[in-house]
Amino acid sequence: MKSKSTGVRFWIGAILFLAAMLAATQVIRNEYPFFAGYIILQFVVLAVAWSILGGYAGYVNFGTSAFFGMGVYTAVFLVKATGAPLAVQIAAAAGVGALLGFAVGLLTLRMQGIFFSIATIALTIIIETTVTNWRFVGGAAGIQIQRPPVTPPFDTYVQMLFFVQALLVVLAVAIARYIQRSWIGRGLQAIKDDELAAECTGVPTLRLKLLACVISGALMCAAGAPAAMYFQYADPSSAFNLNYSVSALAMSLIGGTAHWAGPVLGAILLGVTQQFLAVTISSEVNVLILGIMLVLFVVAAPEGLIGLIRKIGNWRAGRAT
Amino acid sequence: MKRRALLGAAIAVAAIAIDAIALASGAIAQQPPIKIGMSMAQTGGLAGAGKASLLGIQIWADELNAKGGLLGRKVELVVYDDKSTAAETPAIYAKLLDVDKVDLLFAPYATVPTAPLLPLAKQRELLLMGNFSFQVNSKVKHDMWFNNAPWGPADSWAASFLELGQKAGGKRIALLAADQEFAQNLALTAREVAKTRNMQIVFDQAYPPNTVEFSSIIRALSATKPDIVYVASYPPDSAGILRAVNEIGVGDNVKIFGGAMVGLQFAAVMENLGSLLNGVVNYNTWLPEPSMYFEGTKAFFETYAKRAVEAKVDPLGYYIAPYGYAMGQMVEQAVNATKSLDQKAIAKYLHANEHKTIVGPIAYSPDGEWKETATLQAQFRGVKDKNVEQFRSAGRQVILFPEKLKTGDLISPFEAARN
Repeated sequence: MKSKSTGVRFWIGAILFLAAMLAATQVIRNEYPFFAGYIILQFVVLAVAWSILGGYAGYVNFGTSAFFGMGVYTAVFLVKATGAPLAVQIAAAAGVGALLGFAVGLLTLRMQGIFFSIATIALTIIIETTVTNWRFVGGAAGIQIQRPPVTPPFDTYVQMLFFVQALLVVLAVAIARYIQRSWIGRGLQAIKDDELAAECTGVPTLRLKLLACVISGALMCAAGAPAAMYFQYADPSSAFNLNYSVSALAMSLIGGTAHWAGPVLGAILLGVTQQFLAVTISSEVNVLILGIMLVLFVVAAPEGLIGLIRKIGNWRAGRAT
Repeated sequence: MKRRALLGAAIAVAAIAIDAIALASGAIAQQPPIKIGMSMAQTGGLAGAGKASLLGIQIWADELNAKGGLLGRKVELVVYDDKSTAAETPAIYAKLLDVDKVDLLFAPYATVPTAPLLPLAKQRELLLMGNFSFQVNSKVKHDMWFNNAPWGPADSWAASFLELGQKAGGKRIALLAADQEFAQNLALTAREVAKTRNMQIVFDQAYPPNTVEFSSIIRALSATKPDIVYVASYPPDSAGILRAVNEIGVGDNVKIFGGAMVGLQFAAVMENLGSLLNGVVNYNTWLPEPSMYFEGTKAFFETYAKRAVEAKVDPLGYYIAPYGYAMGQMVEQAVNATKSLDQKAIAKYLHANEHKTIVGPIAYSPDGEWKETATLQAQFRGVKDKNVEQFRSAGRQVILFPEKLKTGDLISPFEAARN
């Protein structure tokens, strides 16, 4: 009964969030909030997607930038080859991401721990090198893309991309929440605790890990697809920038990986801080502040913001009794 | 009594005049400044040149404000760090336009951070002063884009180098280019120029951006016996390539070596490589040769040399800093001539006129690039190890191209020029 009511509350919250985002695009005339907000929402999707494999199953994936870049270049390819609309670009990117996730799952899930992480870094390098030498999508020189006319009710393309990314956030969070609360999440949790023991007790470990890889990969690629139209430019070094991998990982860890809300909180906190610092302290100091934040969270709140909130809640409850 | 009355009247008139002047100057002081917005790489791979460029622009703004500003208003620079990536610039320029409400825009240093801005500038019909991008407007075709870099037509860079090689008797070309945006663009034009000049490409290789060891590549290159070696590389690679050449050589056939090696323009790299630079013919934008001094050039470098120490940027600042200053000068001339901040009027003026700057006269072709290339090809000569001050005097980099700025002839073959 409780689970049903929290489900209703979640969906009411999601609809309210989307309504607020849509209203913002209709009311706010200044474009800057949408430019900055888009980046924050993009990181929310990436962090939530990373957490499905990295948080629930404990497989640390450094290949976020590979999936993100594949999303960008799937969109670039489709725009150049067929002039496909945005929805098709995103759907195709999700498909490519799922396939890539499946391949990664098959190839690398036999590896564990640090070996898996190294394999995912290698994946980024392989794909980036391939795209760098693929002249059709611009190769090393990059490619500029012209946006098509915007679809009503939006006034500008960036407002539309902002709302599309908000939709992806709701989709990613809903999937992560479902996984966490279902048998899949419990299975992944068992794998994280002790994979051998999980296998012995009948948890279909390979199948679950493949599923996590496919879903995580599809979401990351989908998050990358609108970036081609956002930047109106794609080049391999920007699209496959390791910064996406590091940020997605840091956001999930800072937010906490035990609950779907952790990566959301972490991405909002870090994303807002990054955007704020980019236009306030214009120097090396902004990089330093981010580094200090990471160290502080790792030392003071190893379970992330979610862990910290739980601790405070328990402490208050303890004091009350 | 009459005298007193006269004196009193004179004092009253003087007091009124002083009040009027004070009021007028107060009105000027109260006028909001003209804001010029930009992002600039202050961290990341492009930061070295980005900071030097910004210092050049700041020197222009400070001198202009000391003279009374633009249209009677002070000029204020609004600058953010784009961390050398294209990922930051769209949001930064949206803030500059929609929150900071800047009056004019300067593009960030380099091609990649600028690339996402061209479509934005075109959609909003904004004037965008380019800052050392390469062919970034070739597809977007924005008619209010003006690049401050002296590249000129797309093929002139490779054409000038290959022409020098051809005049020295070269026919067989080796192309070595980093697998990155700028180097690949240059390699592409080199292939086209070679084709039009009926020159044979005997070696054509792209290497991954983080390559540090070049001896095997240089061995493979010299095995093809080229007589022109065109290299398009980035700072760490440029140093690695020259070290490999120094160790194993490129063969006696080579008439000319270099072309588009990024890094050999910066004081730290030049000081580090020292005598390894001798004989290399490479592109540059400004050099302390007699032909390169125009009105204000000497004064600019005197100010730059002092401020570079405080700002901890490239002590020489030849490559990009004077072009930052020149970008400001062009805007200053256009705004003063049109007496407005109307972006279309400024763009029209910039297209229609030649502009006097500290890097020489600048005139634009319709694509927003210089009508004529002023990209120098210069040969390093007599360079000694570990001495940055030597690069301040003429003769260390002799200009071979363009003809109107030439200060010497090519010493060829490459092996002879190295000694």
